[in-house]
Amino acid sequence: MSHGPSGARPGGSAFAGGYAGRVLRVDLSRRTWRTEPLDPGAALRYIGGRGLNMDVLYREVAPGTPGLDPANRLIFGVGPLNGTLFPGAARFNVSAMSPQTGILGDSNAGGFFGPELKFAGYDQVILEGRATSPVYLLITEDGVQFRPAEHLRGLDVWATDAAVHAELRDDRAQVAVAGPAAEHGVKFAGIFANLVRAAARTGMGTVMAAKNVKAVAVRGRRPVTVADPDGFAKLLRGLTAEIKAHSEYQPRRELGTTRLVSALNALGALATRHYQTGRFEAASEVSGEALARRFRIKGKACFACPIPCSRFFRLTDGEFAGLASEGPEFEGLAGFTSRVGNTDLALGLKGVDLCNRYGMDVIGTSEVISFAMELRERGVISDAEADGLELTWGNGRTILALVEKIARREGFGDVLADGVRAAATRIGRGSEALAMHVKGLEFFQADPRGLKGYALGLAVSSRGGDHLRSEPSFEFTGDGPAGQRRFGAAEAAFRLEHKGKGRLVKHFEELCALSDGLNACKNTIVNMEVLDYEQAAEFLRAATGLAFDGAGVQRACERTVNLERLFNAREGLTRADDRLPDRFLNEPLPAGSGPSAGSVVELEPMLDEYYTTRGWDLTNGLPTPAKLTELGLEEEARQVGLKRAAD
Amino acid sequence: MYDLRIVVEEVRGFCDLPLKPGDYVEVKGGRLHLPDGKFFCIWALQALMPMIPAKQRHIVEENDWLPDTQRMVCPDPDGQVIFRFERVPCGDSPAELGGAAARGGVSAQGAPRPAGRAEPPDRLLVSEPACSGCRACELACSFAHERIYSPETARIIVLKDEAAGLDRPSVCRQCGVARCVQACSEAALTRDPATHAVLVDAGRCSGCGACVEACPFGAVRLSTATGRPLICDLCGGTPACAEQCPTGAVVYGRAGKAAAGGGRS
Repeated sequence: MSHGPSGARPGGSAFAGGYAGRVLRVDLSRRTWRTEPLDPGAALRYIGGRGLNMDVLYREVAPGTPGLDPANRLIFGVGPLNGTLFPGAARFNVSAMSPQTGILGDSNAGGFFGPELKFAGYDQVILEGRATSPVYLLITEDGVQFRPAEHLRGLDVWATDAAVHAELRDDRAQVAVAGPAAEHGVKFAGIFANLVRAAARTGMGTVMAAKNVKAVAVRGRRPVTVADPDGFAKLLRGLTAEIKAHSEYQPRRELGTTRLVSALNALGALATRHYQTGRFEAASEVSGEALARRFRIKGKACFACPIPCSRFFRLTDGEFAGLASEGPEFEGLAGFTSRVGNTDLALGLKGVDLCNRYGMDVIGTSEVISFAMELRERGVISDAEADGLELTWGNGRTILALVEKIARREGFGDVLADGVRAAATRIGRGSEALAMHVKGLEFFQADPRGLKGYALGLAVSSRGGDHLRSEPSFEFTGDGPAGQRRFGAAEAAFRLEHKGKGRLVKHFEELCALSDGLNACKNTIVNMEVLDYEQAAEFLRAATGLAFDGAGVQRACERTVNLERLFNAREGLTRADDRLPDRFLNEPLPAGSGPSAGSVVELEPMLDEYYTTRGWDLTNGLPTPAKLTELGLEEEARQVGLKRAAD
Repeated sequence: MYDLRIVVEEVRGFCDLPLKPGDYVEVKGGRLHLPDGKFFCIWALQALMPMIPAKQRHIVEENDWLPDTQRMVCPDPDGQVIFRFERVPCGDSPAELGGAAARGGVSAQGAPRPAGRAEPPDRLLVSEPACSGCRACELACSFAHERIYSPETARIIVLKDEAAGLDRPSVCRQCGVARCVQACSEAALTRDPATHAVLVDAGRCSGCGACVEACPFGAVRLSTATGRPLICDLCGGTPACAEQCPTGAVVYGRAGKAAAGGGRS
């Protein structure tokens, strides 16, 4: 297959391949930058992306630093396989202290930005301080340009992307944008690349805007090399063949995550009218299948991915004729249909599109809207409080108006713009009990009562209520013998059972940490489980030449999860914070919820099993000295006052 | 093959367009080119049209009238505008191509065939609607050639318009008559006798970029690393991009025939 000489490795880094070997540190206050070598020891300890970001975040952001303070860091990271043909290695992580939750903030997105950062020759970019006036950054292999962005102020994500591309005269640059919502200080504003690829969670866009950075453009012309090209190519052939032979491959090509609307609805676990029930009567009208049938133009994929699970759609008639975009994923689709009781697919797509253009998290946005609708239904608030908008389920005018108001922090939108926890505090009157969040972060469009492993994952997730920290999709398999073999309980393979879920979640949390460390896609690594730690180590050895082994890779993932727990412990979090809203613990899913009816989350026994499996203390939910020693986190633990094993 | 220049030789009547002596239109391959700021009469053009492909080709039939016909007249009896066909030799060197073109015959396909081939050669076919925009083809290309992953050195790139949802793989189509080969004054570009791919002799190439200018598809770039053109060499007959493409957007084959490589999986 090859006809050329081996490509020479540029830059003279300490790595034989995979890693770029450079960290870019940008001081926004002084408008200076410098590069630092990536520490090979840190690479082995944390793999890349999320893990390395956490390492920097833990060391450099002091406890109690407010998310919007210039002392906060905003860290972009990619992994050692980004830029290669490793399937789905298209992502980047962005991390900071979250202005929304006050704890660990971290989010990642696919598309093309992450690989471009690697081609520019960086594994990580650390933004410090705050620019004195709005800027956007142009990052290339030669460093950073600070470019004025006064004229981009207030422009939406799409307009900013177009303006930056026009100024750079380079349509191959990749641009990550903070939209108007971030500029207005909406706490769940994300960072959007490729127009719709959102690092949406925990307010990373809000942090970027607070630093006066409107956009980060990246253009890279360096190659990514691997230490053992033949070995790496052989491993890739095997993995790609395995993915294409997987039973999930075809369904994911056709519908991607949007198939979850009908799949979860069938199970009675689709978040409907703010988790009041698990079945949406109009699910078939707003499903991924309906979207594909009515509006889909073609399949779309992230960089170098063999699964075109995304889609481009266009509306050709009706009120929103002309609306065309890539997307949405399941979270946006269900968020703007079943969660808010909307039966009009086109209107739902418009809602997602508005979030993308303003630069807001569809999960946070759909939670606060559906929260307000339930409050109104229960008589807690009136339409008058919502600036006269009729807060009835599925009211299209209200839904779209609220998105706009939130993005601009106008009127009632200002009440909702800090997230549901803050909104409930402001509204009071018992609304706190109906605020659906964990640790201040809203969560996904499935009802936790219908997926107990996911429920546990939400409760313990290091960034608050989020499914992508664990994604234990094994519990849908119904493969009891595998559950017994892998997690010590046949029940682990059944979504409505709670036994074995502590071990299940530990395993999948670490698999997610692997996926985020590689900045590759969870569709393949976590949902399809196509890569175990030994195989991951083989890829890492072939790519980097470093002495990765299977056990070491697993430990790096476990270390990441533990370090994140320490980060939150430093902010004062304990077991008491690993909880779910009362509804999921006390109110059974109603009779209309099909096979999930009658179910509640048995959280405490799952937590006990989880902490025990993790080697964490059952009373405070923090890593035990023995576990910290095993993972080499004694230094880090000292900062939270945890004792070392030897003490 | 020839390019043509069709010149107004004389206006004996009254042309109210007006076309004037010396006005011309050029035909290069399948394209009409007008000089900047000039126009051409559509009524004359439709009369001239059947002659254009005929005059582009080399015809050996001795009794045929076409080879000797140089002039045509506008169908408007008042105008009496007389056009002269001038032939501009072009095309890949017939000696290199062998086959029908070298023997002076007419190729029914328009595309000269490599010697000894019954069928026209496969070429890379691309499909915008099938393309997911993933750019795996770019990485497959650079890895196949340089053992690195580098869109910057890829011979195939995906042109994208994310707002419009367009993803178009851009790569050499192995033109029958290759403008890049014609444009090269250093004779650094040749055709692979087996695959018909355009090959770059880096030793002869001066990096002038004439081939980049000449390619009607914009499918040739100069490498920022070497300054030499990046032109698809079909990987010697098993193009890595088509092998890698997961959606059938890049296929090695002939239009209308089953794919020889790549395709949907």
